[in-house]
Amino acid sequence: MTTATSSILELPIKREGATHWLQSYRAMLRWQLTDMRMLLPITVVVQLLSGVGLVLGFGLLISDMTANVAVYLSTGAVVVTLVIVGVIMGPQLIAQQKAAGSYDFMWSLPVPRSSAAAAWVTLNVFIAVPGMLGALGAAIWRYDVSFDVSLMVVPAIGLTLVTGTLLGYSIGHAVSKPDITQLITQLLVFVIMGLSPISYPIENLPGWLATINEFLPFYPMANVVRDSLTNGIATDVVRSYVVLGMWALASGSIAAAVLRKRK
Amino acid sequence: MMTSTYGEHVETQSDWTFRAENVSKTYDGEVFANDGISLEVHPGEVYGLLGPNGAGKTTFVKQVIGLLKPTSGSISLGHFDLIEDPDVARQLCSYLPQAQMPIESFKMHEAVHITGLIRGGTSEDIRARGDALIEALDLTEWRDTRGHKLSGGVRRLVGYMMTTVSPGKVVILDEPTNDVDPRRRRLLWDQIRLLGSQGAAVFLVTHNVLEAEKAVDRLAIIDEGKLIAQGTPSSLKSDDRGRLRLQLMLVPGNGVPDLPPLVQHHSRVGNNLMMVIDEADAAVGISWVRQMTDAGIAEEYALGATTLEDVYIRLTGHTSENSGGA
Repeated sequence: MTTATSSILELPIKREGATHWLQSYRAMLRWQLTDMRMLLPITVVVQLLSGVGLVLGFGLLISDMTANVAVYLSTGAVVVTLVIVGVIMGPQLIAQQKAAGSYDFMWSLPVPRSSAAAAWVTLNVFIAVPGMLGALGAAIWRYDVSFDVSLMVVPAIGLTLVTGTLLGYSIGHAVSKPDITQLITQLLVFVIMGLSPISYPIENLPGWLATINEFLPFYPMANVVRDSLTNGIATDVVRSYVVLGMWALASGSIAAAVLRKRK
Repeated sequence: MMTSTYGEHVETQSDWTFRAENVSKTYDGEVFANDGISLEVHPGEVYGLLGPNGAGKTTFVKQVIGLLKPTSGSISLGHFDLIEDPDVARQLCSYLPQAQMPIESFKMHEAVHITGLIRGGTSEDIRARGDALIEALDLTEWRDTRGHKLSGGVRRLVGYMMTTVSPGKVVILDEPTNDVDPRRRRLLWDQIRLLGSQGAAVFLVTHNVLEAEKAVDRLAIIDEGKLIAQGTPSSLKSDDRGRLRLQLMLVPGNGVPDLPPLVQHHSRVGNNLMMVIDEADAAVGISWVRQMTDAGIAEEYALGATTLEDVYIRLTGHTSENSGGA
């Protein structure tokens, strides 16, 4: 038979508040997880392999790997896997939605924008954390390094993931042409892998580039994560937290501004 | 309940009329995508937005749902200002875009269910209504099939169910019948009519004039960003009262022949030449088209009542896409 329901005019007029936010967050996360269900296992495996591969690859690059260098490189690999997910994969997924035309539908759903963004960050955590653990495991197994994990690992990784994901989210939403998003993310890979002192000490860079990196988010991300996983290698950690904290706030505000904007 | 009462709003919110006043949208201050569109739609009405491709229909509905912002004008539902408050616009309106839904990984019933949850419905209500919709549209055999294995027409219907499983007070459907087979099209029209009878104001964006004529209560014809006519299908056809449609199927390769003065206006889609003439000229018209078939210029002809299509052609100078096979 045809659908039976009470009059549509009796439906809730306007929903808001914490319960509405949480309900929206849960429903959006469920949507994201179901949407990724075919890709999620393979994405997690690829992330895991790239974390492990990065660590093992460094061993081939450097013949006499000392314990110190191994710790530096493997903590760098951890940060790279965390950053790549949010900053590179995130915008590419959004660009795909735009190219496929499904973006308008997602954008017309009656959920608070912040709850959709939070669901997105959560999904990124699911994807990124296995890669991170893989990199750590590979380092322990291959180079016999020991990590000294402190409780600061929670804020360090949390800030890194949230900031990276929200920056990627903003890029994905702000850039209207999917092709341009691809170009930007490729440029970012180059900046993150090559020009950011994530896997090597900042002192190795020329002075001007080191100064720039002090204010970009990637070096502080590496520094605070390294500090939380090791003892005594990272320096100037408080400063890195301040810079990264400001980037976290900025990325949140940028995302909010981008999401509010209507053409 | 999730319902948040808005102080005095709740007691007085019985008027759910949708109003657009002088809505204009320009890009770079020059091209008018919408130019001073004003219309009113009442709860329970199925309202058609007809017009050629690029006329500004989709631009208009995207402003209703808050995906675009008008350059000037106002859009309101009851006393909610939908431009000022896009969050409330998204809650009160549901939208089926023209593009296919992103449901490759979703089983049919999951796509409908999760969207219902996102739209704020309770799990129980959505399950009941979702299953009822799947049955009513005769889609039960694909209930557990993932989106990537569904045909375009079935996916379109899933999109419809996702949009209306927990419908807003305004439901916007942009070309809902695209790719849908004729039998399920009829089932879909039944559901759209039912949605109206349950109190939703339904916007139906289409360039399929023949289907719209049967399904809508009222309609607007939009061309080049402007609303050029508005009314019930019969009222729009009233100017054509006393006229007939004379159709000529040309032999492929032939141009439009010299038309006699009795032809008031004409249009050609493929080899199909459609002309509007006065009832009084019917006999002369028939003898002229006979000459055309005898001369081998045309293969066959037909004479019938004018349709909304003829009004549409007269007003826009375009034929609707579907007229080729009509």
